[in-house]
This record gives sequence, structure tokens and C-alpha cells, in this order.
Amino acid sequence: MQELKIQKMPVELRPDLSMWKLEGELGPESIARIQAEFELVLDSKQNFLIAEMSGVTQVSSAAIGQLMGCRQLLSERGGDLVITGVSLDIKSKLSAMGATKIFKFYNELRSAINAYHWEVERKAEKVGLSFPPELQFVPPVRQMVSRIARQKGYSHRDSFRIETIVDEICNNAVEHGSEKVKKNIDLTVQINREKIELEVANASDPDKIENLRAVSSSLSKPPTADAGQRRGRGLALIKMLSNNLDINFSGEGTSVHVTKLREE
Amino acid sequence: MDSEQPRVFKVKFPSDLDYVGPIRKFVAETLGVSKFSPKFAYRSEVIVDEICHNAITHGSRTADAAVEIECRIFSDRFEFQVNDQGGKKDDIERLKKAMKKADVQASDFPEENDGRGLGLEIVRLLSEEIKMEIGDDNMTTVRVVRKREDA
Repeated sequence: MQELKIQKMPVELRPDLSMWKLEGELGPESIARIQAEFELVLDSKQNFLIAEMSGVTQVSSAAIGQLMGCRQLLSERGGDLVITGVSLDIKSKLSAMGATKIFKFYNELRSAINAYHWEVERKAEKVGLSFPPELQFVPPVRQMVSRIARQKGYSHRDSFRIETIVDEICNNAVEHGSEKVKKNIDLTVQINREKIELEVANASDPDKIENLRAVSSSLSKPPTADAGQRRGRGLALIKMLSNNLDINFSGEGTSVHVTKLREE
Repeated sequence: MDSEQPRVFKVKFPSDLDYVGPIRKFVAETLGVSKFSPKFAYRSEVIVDEICHNAITHGSRTADAAVEIECRIFSDRFEFQVNDQGGKKDDIERLKKAMKKADVQASDFPEENDGRGLGLEIVRLLSEEIKMEIGDDNMTTVRVVRKREDA
């Protein structure tokens, strides 16, 4: 039997986080050792613990139960205990014990740290995209943003609505943008657990800007019964699907800022 | 499309594997609407996946690291560039070694056939040109050129 070793490792990318490197067998006899080390974590007021388990050769349900208890305590403090580097063999054993439904598993340390930023610190992540002002490129752009939202845990419905918003604001940027100044359209996406913010900036066409300004100002008025009024439907749709819509016109460009709260 | 006037796309995203799927799909779909074949688009997606994966796992030193890609789509070719922070000394040495390995034949390094650097071998196999530059403070740029196969 290979006795369990728990080594406290520094996390270079985030020195304020705790990491254990576990080596050997996670057997019932390791419970007291885990508890003792965990009390040190609690004493240090840290609430996010990364357990690196690439060196673990055996697991027992008793020891995993102990780790679940540790996770529960950290979770109550708004933190977590996550697992990295686990082998396929150990992961299948953990799955049989039901542990894969309790713990989050990451292949590597960076992914675990990113999860800390996202889940615990609730930091927003930013993606910047610059693309040519052509309608054919709007579908790949809107699908990329939708896929990012799905990947970050947003529901299918929320992601689809985000995709619709991106489609409308990017189509507008192409259609109302300058045909003389062939400047790329800039899309900025800021996403966190609660909301997504989208900003699209493009070069303006002075001939079209008054029309866009008129459509924009009509959004604040009640809808009319004029069925022939087709302009501005896109902006009205964005307004319905989002929680905030701001349009800024300047001599050189137009920028549209949309905030959409996560609903599900 | 004028071959001298490329469509240029730039994306900057957090150094997080969560983003690789959406980014590589974006590049493939952009090539699709630019009239490149599905096969060309998919093989380019494989390249983007490998290089972005490397940039995140070996080329990011800080917690807030980001990866930047630039795609230039010409009528007859696709140029793809990835910039990252550059990793630690070990990572840079490994990358240089993998590039050297890709420049010759993998079979010339039988003792190192451990799967490491396989990503760059795949990129090499699927592209016409691959270059790496390591700038100040280890900033790393990998540039790949693929020519249209059905031209």
C-alpha cells in the first residue's frame, strides 16, 4: 500500500489560492490526514482548493466522502474544491461512486483557475472581434457569440436570443455603415455569470445616419398601427430581447451597446 | 475576391480552453462563406484548434492572459497567425524543439516520439508554411499559410 502524501503547492498564477498535490492511495486511513490539512486551509481563510490528483493510484469511497465534506464546507463559504489531472482509470472509479456529480473536474491547472475567476470571483471575460463590413460574415459572427454563451453555461434559449441580438446589431452595422470607408466592424463581448454586454462600433455613412437616428428616437415612442412601417424592426426586436440598448452617433462612427441579463 | 485585398479578421479572447471550440468554428464558417471548400475549411479548423490549444496551455503566464488571432483570407490562400504571451523557458524550448521536429521528419527523432509536439506536426502536414517568432519577453507568434486546394 502506498500511503497518501498531501503536498501544499504554490499556485504561481494565483498565489492566493490553495493547491494540494495528492500522491498515493486515497484509502480510509487517509481521512485523518485530509481533515488535518483541510483545517489548515480553513484557518488560512481560503475558500477555493484545487486538488491535483495525477499521482493518485487508488480511491476509496470513505476518503472521497471526506473530500465531499470539505467541498461542502467551502461551498457554504462561497468557494469550492475542484479536482485536476485525474487519470481516466481513477475518474471512472469516481464516476461509479457518484463523485463526478459533486466535484468539478479540470484537465489542467489553468482551467481550474479560470473556473475560480468565473464561479467565485464572478469576473467578466472579454472577447474582441474585428470583421469586414459584409453581410455574409454576420452568421459566423453571431454563431460564435452564441457558442461562447453556451460554453459559459447559458441556456439554449438565452444563447439563441443573444445570437438574434448579435445578428441584428451586426446587420445594422453593415447596412448603415459607410460604403466609402471600408473599415472593419468592431464587436466587443463581455460576459459573466449574470449578463452579457455587446458593443458594436462601425464607420458611419452621413447619408444614412439621419434615418438611423430617426428610427432610434422612435423606439422610445409607443408603436403605431402603421403596418407599412418596416424600418426599425431590427432595433425594436433588440429592445424587446435585451435589458438595455444605447446607440451613440458621432461624426465618424456609430456604436451600439446592448446589455442582456441571463434569464435561465 | 481580389487576391491582393484580403478579408482580415482579428479575435482576442481569454486564455481559456472554453473559447477554442467557438473560435475554430468561427474560422471554419468564415472560410465557408468565403467560398473555400468544406474540406479546406475543416482542415483549417484543425489547425486553429491545435495552435490555439498550444497558445493556451503553453503560452500563457499570467492569470489574465489573452490570445490573439488574425486571419487573412485571400482568394487563393488563407493566412492564420496566433500571438500569445509565451510560456516559461521550458515551454519555449519545447516549442522550438517541436518546430525543429516539424521542419524535418518526425522519424528522425524516434527517441522523442512521445506525442509531444504532435499538434505542430499535424499543422505542418496540413499547411504549406509554418513559421514561429519569439519576440521580446517571450511573446510568441505562430504563422501558418494554407493554399486553396481546388484552385
